[in-house]
Amino acid sequence: MGSAEKKQRKKKPNLKKRKNSQLSETDENLITVKEDNEQNKPSGKKKIKREKGNSFDVSDVQDNSNKAAKEKKRNKSKKKLRREEKSNATPIDEVGEHGAEDGDDADNSNGASQVKKEIENPGRPVGKSKKARKKKKKDRGSLMKDEELEENTRDADEDDVYMISSGDEDCSKGMKKWVTEYHQSRPGLKVLQQRIDEFITAHEAKLEQERKEREARAAEGGWTVVVHHKGRKKTTDAESGIAVGSVAQAAVEDKMAKKKKKDVGLDFYRFQRREAKRNEIMLLQSKFEQDRKRIQQLRAARKFKPY
Amino acid sequence: MDADTTVTLTDPMDFKVEELLKEVHFARTPAITKLVDDTVSAIRKSISKIPDAFPVTADLAPGFVRDIGADKVEFKFNKPKTFKIGGSYSINCVVKPAVNVDLFVGLPKECFHEKDYLNHRYHAKRCLYLCVIKKHLKSSPSFDKVEWSAMQNEARKPVLVVYPAVKSVEAPGFFVRIIPTAASLFNIAKLNLKRNNVRAFNQDGIPRATPKYNSSILEDMFLEDNAEYVEKTISRWKELGEALILLKVWARQRSSIYVHDCLNGYLISILLSYLVSLDKINNSMKALQILRVVLDFIATSKLWNRGLYFPPKGQIGVSKEEKLQYKEAFPVVICDPSAQVNLAFRMTSVGFCELQDEAASTLQCMDKCGDGGFEETFFTKIDFPAKYDYCVRLNLRGHTEVHALGFCLDDECWRLYEQKVHSLLNQGLVDRAKSIRVTWRNSPSEWNIENGLAVLDREPLLVGISVSSLEKLFRIVDIGPNAENKEEALRFRKFWGEKAELRRFKDGTIAESTVWESEQWTRHLILKGIIEYVLLRHLSISKENVVQIVDQLDFSLLHGAKDLVSFSASLLEAFEVLSKRLHLIEDIPLKISSVQPLDSAFRFTSVFPPEPHPLANERHTVSRLHKLTPSCIQPLELEGSGNWPMDHVAIEKTKSAFLIKIGESLQNRWGMTCSATEDDADIFMSGYAFRLKILHERGLSLVKSENGNKAKRVYSTDKMLFIRGQHASMINGLQGRYPVFGPVVRVAKRWAASHLFSACLVEEAVELLVAYLFLKPLPFNVPCSRVTGFLRFLRLLAEYDWTFSALVVDINNDFGPEDFKLINDNFVSSRKASEENVQNVNPALFLATAYDKASEAWTTCSPNFTELKRLVAYARSSANLLTKLILEDQTDSCRWECLFRTPLNNYDAVVLLDRQRLPYPRRLLFPSEVNRGRHVARVNASKAFGPFLVPEEMKGSSEEVKNKMMVDFDPLRCFVGDVEASKEYSKKLKLWYDSLGGDAIGLTWERVGSKKREREEAPEEETDSIDVLKAVGELGKGFVRDIYFLKAPRLMS
Repeated sequence: MGSAEKKQRKKKPNLKKRKNSQLSETDENLITVKEDNEQNKPSGKKKIKREKGNSFDVSDVQDNSNKAAKEKKRNKSKKKLRREEKSNATPIDEVGEHGAEDGDDADNSNGASQVKKEIENPGRPVGKSKKARKKKKKDRGSLMKDEELEENTRDADEDDVYMISSGDEDCSKGMKKWVTEYHQSRPGLKVLQQRIDEFITAHEAKLEQERKEREARAAEGGWTVVVHHKGRKKTTDAESGIAVGSVAQAAVEDKMAKKKKKDVGLDFYRFQRREAKRNEIMLLQSKFEQDRKRIQQLRAARKFKPY
Repeated sequence: MDADTTVTLTDPMDFKVEELLKEVHFARTPAITKLVDDTVSAIRKSISKIPDAFPVTADLAPGFVRDIGADKVEFKFNKPKTFKIGGSYSINCVVKPAVNVDLFVGLPKECFHEKDYLNHRYHAKRCLYLCVIKKHLKSSPSFDKVEWSAMQNEARKPVLVVYPAVKSVEAPGFFVRIIPTAASLFNIAKLNLKRNNVRAFNQDGIPRATPKYNSSILEDMFLEDNAEYVEKTISRWKELGEALILLKVWARQRSSIYVHDCLNGYLISILLSYLVSLDKINNSMKALQILRVVLDFIATSKLWNRGLYFPPKGQIGVSKEEKLQYKEAFPVVICDPSAQVNLAFRMTSVGFCELQDEAASTLQCMDKCGDGGFEETFFTKIDFPAKYDYCVRLNLRGHTEVHALGFCLDDECWRLYEQKVHSLLNQGLVDRAKSIRVTWRNSPSEWNIENGLAVLDREPLLVGISVSSLEKLFRIVDIGPNAENKEEALRFRKFWGEKAELRRFKDGTIAESTVWESEQWTRHLILKGIIEYVLLRHLSISKENVVQIVDQLDFSLLHGAKDLVSFSASLLEAFEVLSKRLHLIEDIPLKISSVQPLDSAFRFTSVFPPEPHPLANERHTVSRLHKLTPSCIQPLELEGSGNWPMDHVAIEKTKSAFLIKIGESLQNRWGMTCSATEDDADIFMSGYAFRLKILHERGLSLVKSENGNKAKRVYSTDKMLFIRGQHASMINGLQGRYPVFGPVVRVAKRWAASHLFSACLVEEAVELLVAYLFLKPLPFNVPCSRVTGFLRFLRLLAEYDWTFSALVVDINNDFGPEDFKLINDNFVSSRKASEENVQNVNPALFLATAYDKASEAWTTCSPNFTELKRLVAYARSSANLLTKLILEDQTDSCRWECLFRTPLNNYDAVVLLDRQRLPYPRRLLFPSEVNRGRHVARVNASKAFGPFLVPEEMKGSSEEVKNKMMVDFDPLRCFVGDVEASKEYSKKLKLWYDSLGGDAIGLTWERVGSKKREREEAPEEETDSIDVLKAVGELGKGFVRDIYFLKAPRLMS
């Protein structure tokens, strides 16, 4: 504890220095903010362009491989894709509006009715892929076939899709693991009580041993390092935890608060008053400067536009 | 800019005003002057080409002439007597963004007969005259388009809007309004207020006075004179013009007063001139001071009662009788300088009350808000959706009832309809509403005046209702007149129809009354029921044309078909019993000294409060059951003892030991089930699971000393419990004061979660943000409906200046100057510390409260700068969408859902979860699908977990079944925890998720540090990130369904 306080004390002057230097730096900072923003933009744009290309590839492949069975639907989705790509190119700032539109897009075809269905009977699966999965559940043997079929009809690119097992077989990862962990963490009150007891005894034994070692060391050399304890006097004995001084912390703080009043007032000497006045003016000036900078910043951000 | 040298010693307020003026003032630069002069001269030239004595008949605008009911409208065209630029441009006070110039065109006397003031003949000829001008302007190439508009929404007085073909960058959307004037066309005495000049306006054959009609003509007759007077006054000194601009900015932000039946730019300038003529304003005042004087005059002056009359110049002023006449004819009187016409003849008493209210509240803002209320006065948009608690739209398109009696008599039919709706609502809502505002704009953008006035009902009529108090709002029985009072009772019956019933009340009185049955959690719908009933009963309007903005957001809070808040009472009851039983425990070494509820369900701010679970009870019925039940955390405080261990781990272990003892004791004595882990204990109690925690005082002080070095600000469990306790009691108090607080918080939380911000904005932070709205409502009133509250929450999030100011939530209003100083110091130092790198501002969202003046509790780590930016962007667009939804017609309810539907293409990758494995499938708002990007991985369904107990699991003893129930098990949390725990991925990825039951997780790549300068090849990068995604899928086996890859990681350049 003592050392922590020392550190803090050391840090203080440091902080002050930093404050001063930073005050003068604010100006530069403003500029960097701006630059930063500007830098961000172009790079983002470039990126998007490239991504456009990427995702377009995907859709192309999908279309080629697609069989006549779902052609109509596909076309629709292709259109959708393109539209979404367009919206994709907008920066984040307009995100939500697009979100709204995006939602609309998805809704136009079948989303709305689906939502309703989902709300009505949430437990039941929706859509085709879902049905397939239901089958899977029933019959694990035919699962692979089913899956393959579905994948094939989807598109060739989906061959790349990495299949991950359900994790039901091993408990190293995923749902099974969490469920088992949950149940394992609740072995019943008796077991828990026992574990805690064990821990406490072990803990106490450890402490005891440490104490003994210390004593042994002291006894060995006959010397022990006496550390000066800074700060508040301990009200509890470190080892036994028994209250020693029995002084409530609140009481001490109360006392300290009362003590302060006895100090000589800060405006006792004339130079103090003068200084206080000067400080106040300086403070006002710096505040004004700050305000000014702030306003410039706001102006830069077009904050003065009420419409 | 030499601002640095000149303004060093001015007040920051002046500085801001100056900046504001610069921004909004449409200055007369040489380019602008040229544009205006060119346009005006082009107009003059085109008009001068019109041949004199060109015969004009009603055929030019047959619909218009027919609808206003004019006869004898033929005349021979003559060139205008005068052309004069008037309005705000002439006094150099044009305020952006409405950049226009008024051009007064003096109608020549030759076109009119002496008696043309009768029966709308003047109006018809005025319109036909404009038709001729329009025809010629349209053929000229120097104009882009010529459109119709109406003067102050008065359809019988159309004006021409001319857009020049030459566009200027400085003045986007610039146009000239051609306004006809009628100086000395008619004998003024004939237009006296007492006279009837519309013969059709009579009562049983006795003609009635037509003051509005007369004023409408008189206004045109004195338009030029008054504009001249205003020009003379305003140009006297610079500050007057500036004040006028400020006033306009102020008024325009307030859509409830800047409308046809209240204020407009012209009236503001007249009012200002009036105050100058009274010497209330002198030339030593600054613009802002003048603004204050004007607002103060509006809000408090007694002069309004007798009407405003300019002091007479030499001759005798307005006589007493005349003043009395004015007062009788109009609710508000602002007589023009020549004392011939009441310029405020369109103003209604409701509009004026609203104006006074707004002025008063602005003055209050200036006194009470920070920065002299600058933000609130000029920048906060006070439109219908944000201002009023309830908004109602009436779609009256093609509704013939409106103009059944004719379009225009003394007043126009739309104004009369406004009044009718207002009085109906006033009568129906009695004292539930503090104020009701009804406005109906009738100026469609593309209006073909030739076809008449029937098309002016296109836009919906808008009603805004401010609620007086929630007790009145939620009142179930409205007591009408006593049954003995026959006359009144009859009127009551007539108004309410079958809804009125005779009731005997407790105090023995028998009175007419109306009853609006409603469940506790649908009380906010009472008003809706009343409005619907009244309007449908008295107006021949169909139900779907009455759109009330009340319950459109409620779907987001429903769990299945009901709002779980209805269970809150039983939850509180269960808590009471549990707390009593805890206090009674004797067989543990220390007694429990206090029990406090912590969960947000106890303060009605939980989106989904727990539902009693049949298995967590003593008896249970078998049905389809949730496997899970959420827990409500509550800390206990034990008696003090010196026997506690000192180090952290040992304390925690001791706590657990105590909890187990408590659990055993409860189990033995009351037969309650206790399920415990090493860290916490869950007690089942009348259907709820309560998670017990022990708050140890020593833990608090231990942390304090550890926290000495400020670098590491991680709260220990005890400190966290303590803070949460403080927060809970604070918010609980607030919820007691404002019952709407809970629903608003719930909607806000749901919004944040459904946009996958669960990780960024903790629940408590949302509660504090909403609390701020209730504690510092200015310039509004405290919100009284969830829609309004939610809109203001979004706007607060979007518009608050997070970078430069702390948000202080002063719940009990007990912060003194020292507290504010302390908070400000904390804020400044937190900003200083992160000054080198703006991206690292910490906390980006500074929320100061009584228990946490340095914003360390909720927002230290999140949202960070980028997250906040995203949050603000989402809030802004949601707020805009919501505003649009309230004001405009979208018949499909789908649009409302978009507020909660997040676009998944804003993420770099998307993880879709298995909907069958979600703990609460019913909470899913929209099933997500991704149909773009690259499908990276697919996970097989797991059988390890399902949200419901299946019949097989229900077999066996009740004890076994109980063990199958999972308390507070959240696979999403486990998954996120696992991903974040793996050091490899947590640095590369950021997860955005919805902890309230969404089925999608958005992933964004964390910026690759600048150390890694070498630019890797893009495809390589991509495969790398795909591997990461696959690994993430592995971590979520059995829970994740699909993973899609949308964008490759960005490199820092």
